[in-house]
Amino acid sequence: MIGGMVVFVFAKAWPSFSHNGLHWFGPPAHGGSVDDQLAGIFNSPADPRRYEYTIGAWPLIWGTLLTTAGAVALGLTLALLSSIFIVEFAPPPVRRVMQPVIRLLAAVPSVVYGLIGILVLVPFVGNHLISQQRKESVVYVVQLSGSSLLVAVAILTVMIVPIMVAIMSDALRSVPRAWTEGSAALGVNRWRTVWTISVRAARPALIAATVLATARALGEAIMLSMVSGSTGFAPNPLDGLTFFLEPTRPLAATIVDNAEGLSVKPFGQTIYAFAAVLLVSTFLLSLAGWAAKQPLKRYGIAG
Amino acid sequence: MRNRLAGACLATAAAAALAPAAAPARPVVAHAAAKPKITMSGSTSVAPLAAKLIKGYLKKYPRRASFTLAQGGSDVGVADIAAGRVSIGNSSRDAKPSDPGGLHWYKIARDAICLSTHSSNSLGNLSQPQVQDIFSGKIRNWKDVPGSGKSGPIDLIVRTAASGTQDAFQKLFMGDVKVSTTAAQKASNGLVKAAVSSDPNAIGYLSYAFTKGLHDVAYKGVACNLRTAKAGTYPGSRNFWMITRGTPRKRSAVAKFIRWVRHSKKARKIIASEWVPLR
Repeated sequence: MIGGMVVFVFAKAWPSFSHNGLHWFGPPAHGGSVDDQLAGIFNSPADPRRYEYTIGAWPLIWGTLLTTAGAVALGLTLALLSSIFIVEFAPPPVRRVMQPVIRLLAAVPSVVYGLIGILVLVPFVGNHLISQQRKESVVYVVQLSGSSLLVAVAILTVMIVPIMVAIMSDALRSVPRAWTEGSAALGVNRWRTVWTISVRAARPALIAATVLATARALGEAIMLSMVSGSTGFAPNPLDGLTFFLEPTRPLAATIVDNAEGLSVKPFGQTIYAFAAVLLVSTFLLSLAGWAAKQPLKRYGIAG
Repeated sequence: MRNRLAGACLATAAAAALAPAAAPARPVVAHAAAKPKITMSGSTSVAPLAAKLIKGYLKKYPRRASFTLAQGGSDVGVADIAAGRVSIGNSSRDAKPSDPGGLHWYKIARDAICLSTHSSNSLGNLSQPQVQDIFSGKIRNWKDVPGSGKSGPIDLIVRTAASGTQDAFQKLFMGDVKVSTTAAQKASNGLVKAAVSSDPNAIGYLSYAFTKGLHDVAYKGVACNLRTAKAGTYPGSRNFWMITRGTPRKRSAVAKFIRWVRHSKKARKIIASEWVPLR
């Protein structure tokens, strides 16, 4: 079934890739905008020989990379430290409260996070964190209105941390007690024991949790389409602090925003091309997870 | 035990394979015993009106039909009705020459597209050149727009390329001038309203039904309200259509519904609440 789905998506997406070649992955030609190119594709003349396909989807790919990498980096740190706290250092009453709360957070639908984003976080960032001078300094290139990379990464982190904490704390708890007790008997303190023994032993599970969280971050569409900015803009790291406040729109969010236009043939094929890129990146992600586990097989702990 | 499990799996697979083949080919079935189903899809701007009309129709004739209302945009509505996937397609844009043939377009109402800003903005009126300059990015600051009482960069909120509201805005307001690429493209009227109401520097366009709580800006000297849209004096108004494939048979559920929408007093009252009835 998965094979059928992949073949279907690639078959539908092929014309978009074949008309653009490798330029599909580059920036829009002549400093244009990817939204303009999408509008051009949507308004193609009705004659199949004159369908418009030109697109340079780099701003969308860059936006996807930024939001995913940012959320996973932040989320991995938070999740690892939280799960170490829950398993080793939390007093029993705190542990008893935290576990059901984490599971509840993992089950909240993404559209709820999106609503909290547009109703609370986006106005807060737009009206209180972005000054008038900052907005005016970039007004000819992009509009800074609160829905930005910052809000997108923040909410995405909150979405992926509960899954990672659940998996990591289970893994840390299943490290054999003989190992941790032996380490304590040798005089090693608790913090060092956790880092050098428990975390090292639980590495396959940490990798699995990270892969799962990255897959969720890659595919997140509804929440990101509401809070990440609604323009196909590639945030520029050279802008300094403004980089975090620039809008973007990852691939999955672009698919959701433009799904109305599926019935126009070249536009639908372009949207399938976005989906094909997402499928390939998920596949590459599983490959990376498998590759990360290979060195661990030497120590006999790979799952 | 294993044979029974294999048998159960085979039965499920066979049922799954045969189910799509048994799916109904025509969406509206006039059985003597069952209620006919009317499925609608299309414009997000027509959807609130369609929902209210369906409610009113079922209140008067509860046994005549059962309805399903989907959205997806005007182009989705046209494509769905041309392919026979729904019984009625909703559209907020007029027929294009590139639309499929064999469709009947029934006009059911008119709608006004209002320019809206945040409630703290005191802008009174915009002329067409001003609208074109603001939305194309020629004017980028509120201090260059007389009457707004604000200074600060203008935040443009528009709709995505595939939206019927965007299509109407381009034709009625912008003409040949392109909308700026820095504008934020939202996916629905509701999201545009959320963006404009939370950003004091924002300006956007919406269907008349979504403008409560925002500040409406007059266009070409004419205020955007129900009275001017009905009188036809508001220059930013457009038509709402219900589309069928061919002419529905006189006694079919679809024909009865469309006749009710276009001619009955109750439907006219429903349309008049937030949109513009035809008579």
